[in-house]
Amino acid sequence: MELVIALGMNGIVWGLIIALIALGLSIIFGLLDIINIAHGDFFMVGTVLAWFVLETTGNYWLAFFIVPVIGFAMGALIEYTVIQPIKNAAALSIVATFGLSIILQESVRGTFGAAPTRLVPPIETTVPLFGLEYEVYRLFAALVSIAAIVVFFGFLHRTKMGTWMRAVRFDPETATAMGIPARRVYIVTFAIGFAMAALGGVVAAPITTVDFQAGVDILPFCFMAVIIGGLGNLEGTVAAAVMLAFFEGIMASFFDPTIARIGSLCLMSIVLLIRPHGIFAGATR
Amino acid sequence: MTPAKVHRLGYVLFALFTLTAPWVLPLFVDGFWVDIYSEMLIWSLLAASVNLLFGYVGLLSFGQALFFGMGMYGVAIGVAKIGLGFWPAFGFGIFLATGMALVAGIFAVRLTWHYFAIITVVFSLIFYFTALSWKPLTGGDDGLSFSMPPMFTFGEDNEISLTDPTVQYYFIVTCVGLCYALMALVLRSPLGRALVTVKENDMRASLIGLNVYLIRLTAFVCAGFLAGVAGSLFAFFGRYASASYMFYHVSGEAVVWAIIGGVGTLLGPVVGATLLITLREELSHAWEHYLILVGVIVILVVVFAPKGLGGLWLALVNRLFGGTKAPPARAEDAPRATPKAGPGEEKP
Amino acid sequence: MSGQPILEIDGIEKHFGGLAALGGVYANVESGKLTAIIGPNGAGKTTLFNVITGLLPPSAGRVRFLGEDITDRPVHEISRRGLARTLQIKSVFNGMTVRENLWIAAQSRDGVFKPFQRASQSKRANRVADDLCEELGLGPLADQQAANLSYGDIALLEIGLALATEPKLLLLDEPICGMGPAETEQTVAKIRELSQRIDIVIIEHDIEVVFDVSDEIIVMNLGKVLARGTPDEIKSDADVRTAYLGDDDDA
Repeated sequence: MELVIALGMNGIVWGLIIALIALGLSIIFGLLDIINIAHGDFFMVGTVLAWFVLETTGNYWLAFFIVPVIGFAMGALIEYTVIQPIKNAAALSIVATFGLSIILQESVRGTFGAAPTRLVPPIETTVPLFGLEYEVYRLFAALVSIAAIVVFFGFLHRTKMGTWMRAVRFDPETATAMGIPARRVYIVTFAIGFAMAALGGVVAAPITTVDFQAGVDILPFCFMAVIIGGLGNLEGTVAAAVMLAFFEGIMASFFDPTIARIGSLCLMSIVLLIRPHGIFAGATR
Repeated sequence: MTPAKVHRLGYVLFALFTLTAPWVLPLFVDGFWVDIYSEMLIWSLLAASVNLLFGYVGLLSFGQALFFGMGMYGVAIGVAKIGLGFWPAFGFGIFLATGMALVAGIFAVRLTWHYFAIITVVFSLIFYFTALSWKPLTGGDDGLSFSMPPMFTFGEDNEISLTDPTVQYYFIVTCVGLCYALMALVLRSPLGRALVTVKENDMRASLIGLNVYLIRLTAFVCAGFLAGVAGSLFAFFGRYASASYMFYHVSGEAVVWAIIGGVGTLLGPVVGATLLITLREELSHAWEHYLILVGVIVILVVVFAPKGLGGLWLALVNRLFGGTKAPPARAEDAPRATPKAGPGEEKP
Repeated sequence: MSGQPILEIDGIEKHFGGLAALGGVYANVESGKLTAIIGPNGAGKTTLFNVITGLLPPSAGRVRFLGEDITDRPVHEISRRGLARTLQIKSVFNGMTVRENLWIAAQSRDGVFKPFQRASQSKRANRVADDLCEELGLGPLADQQAANLSYGDIALLEIGLALATEPKLLLLDEPICGMGPAETEQTVAKIRELSQRIDIVIIEHDIEVVFDVSDEIIVMNLGKVLARGTPDEIKSDADVRTAYLGDDDDA
């Protein structure tokens, strides 16, 4: 029973981190109409940068501020150089971001190395919770993720840029006609997507491994959250991420993790086939 | 010379080179390139299956490795577990891949656009993980190796088998050549024209009375067949099968080869696969991280020549030898899976 | 033949969420007449065409074509029964030549699942494509990519695609929308000529054109049939004037 609780809790924490990453994937899809195969690698770059900040400064907390900023800059650069030129060929975006994924992975392998590394969590204490000693850092990770998600939705609904983003997502042509600088909105969207994935990397690095292939593992999971939540449906993405991770956590305490993974993939196929707009379609949007 | 004649000349030269490669190649480069060239031909079939779907019906599949893997396992399991001979195992591999394509296609082609790309990845991942965990049958991580059964036996100890490099080379060339000939035949038929129609405008295609679903499914099964032949050949080539060939990165590589070679042209995938595998063989010794260069090339091709090298070649031939005006190679002209927008003005 | 209903629309409803785009449409289209459907934007005209041609499933009601129920049949099957349609936003195969466009539409009648036959040897489809190129005056453009055509020529080509399927009934959705005066005249002449041999239903906003070409007018408003009659009857109908022709007190 304790194992079930622990894995269920871990699942929820992971779900919140995945939600943060998948939100980036979802806004990039919703606004730019791009299936970003490199999104998992954005997360991976975040974990590596966090490791790098810790190595050079000795202070992990700095990573929470520096890495998203670097992620934002990298995202803006990539949008400008790679995404913009293929904006009108949506299918090719999958191929271009696949190329991007190869570049990011190989660059990290070349600089960071191929061996996975573990980081020591910046908070190493535990607290008693539901009858078991639970790591404080995981609770902290959950809180940071929730805070980041709340800030993101606040940004989307309270700021001028956020309003522009929602307008462009709803109807790019009318938005452009009304004088919204769509070009800038696209750059900011992609940059925010990268920054959120990178922040997810910083949050997750101490509870997973830093590895140039980490993105390959996490990408299918992010896609599942986005698909089950409904492509471009942001609230649905968050809900689906948490639910999925929770169920996979619970399932993993009874079955082999691979079986649990096959189970969620089958679930995802069924959702895709019978409700391609996600299980929350109709509830929002 | 008309452009058509130039193309015909190109095909003839390509065929001549392929048929004489076991003697011609060693004159210039190391002998192992003959082996690599036959490997390229096999992989080009996988790229051709992506091309058939994306270049002709406008469906981008990121899961063709599933059918490649089915072909591989069909042969390996057929020989190692069931004890089949050479030809039955070959047939079993192709049958398994094509059957899988039929079953997967019945569901997958209900979707189009991004959704199709995603569901093909998901299907291939399901079977990738299944193959990984079903160790008694598939060997899991280690894969499943087998010893080569003979193709033909005469009398007591005369036999023809792929253990003879020349036999192996010509067997691969024959199979790959037959596949391309079949593909060329189908693309020239009314069915081939109908495929392009569906890519161009699926709603209009159904409004003129074409069964778009059935056309897509047919293309999907044909593509599964091509990938299955490739996988079966590769199993014979390497004498083993492994789940790692079903991972979505293999599908992704096939897409990359097809795009770089030029989708919508018959031999584009051969060009793409040849080029990138040559690059891999040449560069991987010189620079460990040559994949960065591959990534850069992929992006450059997508941005500047979305019709790939095949498209550049067509444009060049048309410019040099006259003929119909070549469409400009711009990103907007690239094959594009059309979103499912509602018909007409009044949308929900 | 005149007076037979070729198309029977029997209580068609279509709801999008809570919104009723079609609230029970009853109308028969009679053979031998050119029927026009008019009505303000959002009246449900295009939605009705979408339901008839199978692009949208109706929420309720039946559609019968040539006496047979075609409700919920697939789009391609309805086309094969002889019902062709053009779209308001002109829709052809952009990446193919004019002749290839017409060829595949003609070939669709003979079936396309012939993987081992040469496309260029389909004699009937070749002839139909060539004839239509001539008839529509697209002969000089036969080898041009459809994407390079002028707007008017694309509209003609789209009608050509419909004709190549040898339809018994042709639905035209705003065929002259967005055309200049010369193109309009050319297209209207073509429609009038076609109506001699094919039954046509046309959605059109240009009232002048409608009163000029049609034998029968169906007026739709808010997802229902408001009135129907000959052009003269419609001109004098009080309801129609209120809803559509601009005699509304609230306007």
